[in-house]
Amino acid sequence: MADKLPIRYYKPKSEFKFDITDIQNFVYDMSRCIKCKGCTWVDHTYMPGTKFMTRCPSAEKYQFDAYGAYGKMRIGHAMAEGRLDWNEKAVEIMYACTLCGACDVGCKRNLDLEIELTLESLRVKAVQDGVGPMPAHKKIADNISRTHNMYGSPAEKRTAWTTGAIKPAAKAEILYFPGCTASYINKEIAQSTAKILKAAGADFMLMPEERCCGNTLFSVGMLDEARASAKHNIEEVRKSGAKTLLTSCAECLRTWKVDYPKMLGISTEELGFEVIHLVEYADEMIKNGALKMKKPFQTRMTYHDACSLSRLSEPWTPYEGKRGWMGCVEPRLKRRRGSNGVYAQPRDILRAIPGVELIEMPRTRENAFCCGAGRGTREAFPDFATWAAKNRMEEVKDIGAETLVSSCPRCKNNFAQAVKAGGIDVQVLDISEVISAAIEA
Amino acid sequence: MAISKEIYKALESVAGPEYISDDPVICEGYRSGPGGYEAGLGYERVMTTVPGCVIMPRTTEEVQRIVKICYRNDIPYVPYSTGFYGPRSHPHVEDALLIDLKRMNDFVLDEKHFYVEVGPGMVYSPIQEECMQHGAYVVIGGGGAQASAIANLIGDGWSPLSHRIGLPHRRILGTEIVMPDGELLKMGSLAQGDDPFWGEGPGPDLRGLLRGYTGLRGCLGIVTRMAIKTLPFQPERLEPTGISPNTALTLPEKRVKWINFTVPSKDEQVKSMREIGHAEIAGAVTKVPLFWRAIAKAECKEEFWDIWGKETEESVANFFIVRVLLIGYTSEEQMEYDERVLMDIMNEVGGIARRTKPSDESWIKNADSAGMWLMCGGYVSVDYVIETLSQSPGHGPCYAELKKKYTPPLMPDYGDPGWFQSFEMGHQGYSEFLVYWDPDDDTNPVDQFYVDTSKMNIKNRFYTSLLGPHQPLYLTGPKYGPNYHEFLLKVKNEFDPKWMSHPPVPLAHDVFVERAPWMHHMKDWESPADIPK
Repeated sequence: MADKLPIRYYKPKSEFKFDITDIQNFVYDMSRCIKCKGCTWVDHTYMPGTKFMTRCPSAEKYQFDAYGAYGKMRIGHAMAEGRLDWNEKAVEIMYACTLCGACDVGCKRNLDLEIELTLESLRVKAVQDGVGPMPAHKKIADNISRTHNMYGSPAEKRTAWTTGAIKPAAKAEILYFPGCTASYINKEIAQSTAKILKAAGADFMLMPEERCCGNTLFSVGMLDEARASAKHNIEEVRKSGAKTLLTSCAECLRTWKVDYPKMLGISTEELGFEVIHLVEYADEMIKNGALKMKKPFQTRMTYHDACSLSRLSEPWTPYEGKRGWMGCVEPRLKRRRGSNGVYAQPRDILRAIPGVELIEMPRTRENAFCCGAGRGTREAFPDFATWAAKNRMEEVKDIGAETLVSSCPRCKNNFAQAVKAGGIDVQVLDISEVISAAIEA
Repeated sequence: MAISKEIYKALESVAGPEYISDDPVICEGYRSGPGGYEAGLGYERVMTTVPGCVIMPRTTEEVQRIVKICYRNDIPYVPYSTGFYGPRSHPHVEDALLIDLKRMNDFVLDEKHFYVEVGPGMVYSPIQEECMQHGAYVVIGGGGAQASAIANLIGDGWSPLSHRIGLPHRRILGTEIVMPDGELLKMGSLAQGDDPFWGEGPGPDLRGLLRGYTGLRGCLGIVTRMAIKTLPFQPERLEPTGISPNTALTLPEKRVKWINFTVPSKDEQVKSMREIGHAEIAGAVTKVPLFWRAIAKAECKEEFWDIWGKETEESVANFFIVRVLLIGYTSEEQMEYDERVLMDIMNEVGGIARRTKPSDESWIKNADSAGMWLMCGGYVSVDYVIETLSQSPGHGPCYAELKKKYTPPLMPDYGDPGWFQSFEMGHQGYSEFLVYWDPDDDTNPVDQFYVDTSKMNIKNRFYTSLLGPHQPLYLTGPKYGPNYHEFLLKVKNEFDPKWMSHPPVPLAHDVFVERAPWMHHMKDWESPADIPK
C-alpha cells in the first residue's frame, strides 16, 4: 500500500523466515515488544479479579521482568545485536520457562509478534553458542540416545503396558503412539486409550520400533538430535501405512503435529498422515454413537487445558517472506494465535458423562496457567514445576472441584505430585482414564 | 555513582536476596526498548538506559528504607510499576536503582463506602472485575487494562468512561507517598488514621501536585497506596465471550448498550455531546477516529493497511460518528428513559442509529490501549487536551494540519481530526490524537513534531496535557502559568533537594533537546545555561 502513496515512505523490504535456527529471523519481533505485558496477564476480558491474574508461570514465580516474555525479548534482542553475552543467569532465564504459549496468544491478541518462535529460537541459540541446554536436559538426551526413551528405561520394555486384553493389530489405519511417559510411567493412560479404541471398534497398531518423539530435545534447542528423531519416526509411520497417528499425550501431539514439520521445513499436511489426540477421536466417536459413556461418575470436575493440546496445537505451515513498511509482511501470513486449539472436545466429552458436574477454573482455555511440567522444565527446575502445579491447584481448590482432569501424562504427574506434597483432597486423572471408566458397562 | 557491594548488601537486607539483582541480564530485562509508546524515538535513544540494579519491595516500609539508603548514598532511583508506556518511566541516568513495585499489589474493596484501595502493582482490569462483581465500577483508563492503576491515575486516567466524572484527580482518595528522602506523607483522611475514605484534608491535599497534569513520573516520590473512588454500576454480569484475539464482553442489553450514531456534521457531533451531558444520561460519549474501525475489522496488521488504504481525505472528512454507552444504573426503566432522551437528542441533530454490536471490546474492562499498536507493531504517540467542549473539537483540525508537515514519517491519515468526547457531563471536552510511524523510518521528524505540537497548542491556546515531563519545561512552563516551571522546580527542590528521584525529570525533555543535535533548531525559548547536557 505504501508504494501507491503520493509520498514515498522509505522502508527496504527485509527477507525472513520462520526458521528458529537463526535468531536474526526474530529480531523484528523482539524489537517491537511494547511491554504491555499482555503476555503475562490473563486476557482482560476474562480477567477473573484480583486472584489468578496472570498466565505466565515464569513471570509469576520469578517476578523480575527478565523472566516475562517482555524481558526475554529485550535480552534476546541485546544478544542478537551483540550487546549482551550469555551468563549463568541468562541461561537460567531462557530455560526456566515452560514454553507454554500463554505469552504467544496473549501477545497476538493485540500485536502480531512471534513470541513462542522467538523463545524457541533463543534456546537453539543457547545450544549453538555452547551454553545450553541445562545439565538435566543433557541427561535426557543421553537417555534417548542410549535407550530411545527419555527415562533411560530398557527399550525392550516400551510395550510392557500391552497386557491382558490389549492386542494391537499388525496393520491398522490408526497408529497409536503412547510416548515415553504412558509407556513407562503412566501405563494406565496407554491402557485406557487402548480400551477406548477397542470400545469404539477401532483397531490400532503400534510403531514396530517406537522411539521417544524428541519433545524435550526440540524444546531445549537440541535441533540436530530432535531432527534425527523426527526423521526416524515419520519414516516409520509412513512405512506402516497408517492414515492417522493418535496420541494420548499432549506433548507428543504437538511434537508430531507442529515441531516435526517446523524442524523439517514442511507443513503438517505434508507429513502424509493425520496427527490427532485421543480426545479428538473420542469426541467424534461419542457424537456419532460409536462410543457410549453410560457409567456415571458423580463428581465435581474441572478440566485443565494442556498447553500443547490447546493453544500450541494449531497445525504448522512454513513461512518465508519479506517484511516491509510498518512491519507488514508479504505474502500474507495466517498467524497461529491459539484460537483453533483443541478446547471444546474434552469439555464435550466430560459433559457427556452421567453425573459429572463440569466447572471451569478462572483461567481457562487460552488463558490457562501451565502445570509447569513440560518443555524440559520439570527436569531442570523441579521446584519451579512443583510451584506452578501448586499455583494451579489453588485454583482447583478455589472452585471446589473434587476431580482435576487433563489430557497429558506430564500434567497428570506434576499435579499428582503437588497434590501428594500438599495433602490436597483432589483426585487427579487423565481424560483417558475418565472415558475408559465411563464406558465400562 | 555505582552501587557498591556495601550498599547492595544494605538494600538486600531490606527486600531479601530473592528480590534484588544487579545481574546485567536481569537489568537488560528492564530496558525501555525500541517498542512501545514513543519508544525508539530520540528520547528513548538519548535519554534512557538500563538500571544498575533492580529491587522489588513488598511494603511501604521497605520502600521507605530503600529510598533512605539511596538518599544517604546518592543513588538515583526510579519507581517502576508495570513498565508500560515507554521510556519516561525508565532510568535516565547510569547506575540508577530501579524500584520495581509489582509485588505491591494489595487490593481492598470497600463496598459500603464505594472505594477500592490498591498498591502500585495492581492493574486496571482485575480492579474493574472486582468492582463489577460488587455493583460498582472504576474509571481509570489511559494506560489500559494491564497498566498500574496508581500510575494511571497520577499519569493519565481518562477514558470514555470519564463522561460522568472528569479529570482523574477527582477519583483519588486517601493516598500514601514515600517522599524522595524516604519520609512518609499521607494525604486526606489517611493523615489522621488508617481510613483512606476521604481525599481532601484534614491532612495536606497535595494530589494535584503529585500528579501534575499528566504525571511527574515519580520525580516527586513514590505512591505506595491509594484509595480510588468507585461509582455505582448496574448489577447484571457482562459476560466474557469469544476466544483470543476476538474476545469481548457481552452486554446485558436492557442495562448496558452501545449505540453508534452517524450525524450530519461536526457541529452536530458537538451539540449532541453537550445535550447528552446536560441531560445527565449515558456512561460514555465519544467520537472515535475512523481508523479505529479499521483496527476493529482487521485480523492482522496487513489487513488493517488494506482497509485503511481505501480511505480518502473525503471519506475521513465526512465521517461523523457519535458513540454512546447507555447504562441503566438503577433499573431497566431508567435505561429505557435514557434511551428515549438520547433518541430525542439525536433526532434533533439528525443522527441516525447504526447497527451496533451488543458487546464491549475496548472500554469497560479493558481500556484496551494495547490493541492500538496492531497496525505498526509498536508505536503510538498522542497529543491530548482537556478543554471546554466548544474549544476541544477545534484542536483536531489544527493538529491534523500540523501532522501533514511531518507526513511521512507519520502514517498517512488523510487529515483525520483525531477523537474527542465530553467529560464531566459536557463540562469538559477532551481531544486526543494517536500518531503512528514505522520505527525503521527516519524518526527525527517525529521528535520535532512532538515539540512542534506543544508550540501549536501554545499558539492556539489549547490547554495541552503535554506539560512538564512530556515537553521541555522551559518551553511550556512560562506559557502555562506564567510560572509553572518555577513553581514545579521549587517544589522539586524542596521535596528532593539532591534530585535522586528519577533524575532529570521534570527537566528531562529540556535535557533531551540540548543533547539531540536534530532538535537544536527547534529551540526558540529561553532556558538556564546550567541544564545538564
